[in-house]
Amino acid sequence: MIVAHVRGHHTRPEELDEHARASWLGRIDPRAKIIGVVVFVVAAALLTRTELILASLSLAVAFAAMSQVPYRHLARMYLGALPFILVASASVALFAGLERGFDMWARTSSCVIALLVLASGTETFELFSGLRRLGVPKLVSTLLMLTYKYVLILGDELARMKTARRARGFKGGRSILDRRSLDVIGNTAGMVFVRASARADDGYEGLRSRGFRSDMKLMRAPRLRAGDIAFVAWFACVSSILAAVQLGGVG
Amino acid sequence: MKVLDIEGVSFTYEDGTPALKGVSLSIDEGEKVAVVGPNGAGKSTFLHLIAGFRTPFEGSLKVMGERLEERTADQVRRHIGLLFQDPDDQIFMPTVEEDVAFGPVNLGLDRVEDRVIQALRCTSIEDLAKRKPHRLSHGMKKRVAIAGVLAMEPELLLLDEPTAGLDPRSRSDLIELLRNMKRTMLMATHDLEAAAEIVDRVVLLNGSVVFEGGLSELMSKDDALERAGLEPPQIARLFKRLGAMGYGPQGVPVTLDQGVAEAVRVIEREKGRSRGRND
Ligand SMILES: Nc1ncnc2c1ncn2[C@@H]1O[C@H](COP(=O)(O)OP(=O)(O)O)[C@@H](O)[C@H]1O
Ligand SMILES: [Mg+2]
Repeated sequence: MIVAHVRGHHTRPEELDEHARASWLGRIDPRAKIIGVVVFVVAAALLTRTELILASLSLAVAFAAMSQVPYRHLARMYLGALPFILVASASVALFAGLERGFDMWARTSSCVIALLVLASGTETFELFSGLRRLGVPKLVSTLLMLTYKYVLILGDELARMKTARRARGFKGGRSILDRRSLDVIGNTAGMVFVRASARADDGYEGLRSRGFRSDMKLMRAPRLRAGDIAFVAWFACVSSILAAVQLGGVG
Repeated sequence: MKVLDIEGVSFTYEDGTPALKGVSLSIDEGEKVAVVGPNGAGKSTFLHLIAGFRTPFEGSLKVMGERLEERTADQVRRHIGLLFQDPDDQIFMPTVEEDVAFGPVNLGLDRVEDRVIQALRCTSIEDLAKRKPHRLSHGMKKRVAIAGVLAMEPELLLLDEPTAGLDPRSRSDLIELLRNMKRTMLMATHDLEAAAEIVDRVVLLNGSVVFEGGLSELMSKDDALERAGLEPPQIARLFKRLGAMGYGPQGVPVTLDQGVAEAVRVIEREKGRSRGRND
């Protein structure tokens, strides 16, 4: 999707979308995916009973395992989110006890895992256009898309500058307090922003020159198929059972 | 009918860089024109200005008789297909066919699927329809970008350095494609050889218009070329040298075909001369 075009020579994020289409999950309509996963995440976030939280965590892990999104990729992204989850859980553990802290970790993890699978199993453009067709205002979906593209350009420019810097013998500071390293890093950051914003301007003109005003339209408006409905139905079903048990105290 | 009509256009960037000074140019339907000039001559600025991305500017600019102003830019741009120098700036969708459809869908044009097929065929990339554009080579990405522009059926095609960054094979394929395309086009380039193959007329730009006319005529303007830092194509240089040695051609050939024709003419003439001497 968008990302990859922006990135030019670097190949990292393309891999991400690579299997998005190939897997069964990639073929589910993005609207169905968003609704299904969001329903699950909302239900999972409401749970307070440890056994239910563990059930939702296992469901999230099962979803991840079945999604055909590579484990390594999911693991890397999860590790990225882990510090935040741990800080939250640790503070809950500190004030409300170890058990509550554990619940917090498991609950947040099940939500995060489900969302990560959603994000990796969907082409980014489809994700945004799916949001748009679910009624998210076009200003918001377009802003999301452009922001996302800009972030990727930033990353791309940073990678290039790092390479260029290394090619000219810059080793990185032995210490962050090293005056020269600080100068070089400061200048790099400046250049990265200047260049990224120039490229983002070009990209925006590119969009406009192709008739883009403010809305993301697709060539073929996709229709919901049986698989999409089954996907939503499954998540709605599982989520209502979890919620019913939680609220009704059944069992 | 005049597709493009520009009179005395000047443009200065916000930071005070004067990029264009009193540029005038008019292009008729079906004409192919090249804007040549060194780096920083204002070629890209000129094309982006015509596409309505550099407002406000001084002077008057009309596309298909419609006057370009800040207010009318979106409307006027519908007549224009702009090919960016970097195809990554204008490719957005996950597959080639969806990307080619992007423009027509945005403009609300009819028969989108037909247009896509047509554009893919015209650029000879039908077999790439389902591929991911970002995975393609630079040359193929250019084709995808061109197909995306053609699918919008613009009356005026603006091409920014179309041959830059291509390997020799993709470059000559692209030249072939553009030469055979029956469209009004204005291309910016410093590749004089490519321009010679494709266009009927050139404009030498260096902030302002320094020369306007045929390429072969431009080849004889040594000082203008020198000042603009442009290198004549090898063929032109060869015949200039030959001319200095007394084997002067009638005009300065620029393309390979013209060179061959000229060489044959020179050979025939010399043969006639030596026969005359022997008799
Ligand atoms: N966004 C910008 N802001 C300020 N100056 C610019 C900008 N873009 C280009 N320029 C300047 O305008 C002049 C013409 O640039 P450009 O149109 O890119 O030339 P060309 O395409 O012929 O190489 C150059 O001096 C360039 O530095
Ligand atoms: Mg340029």
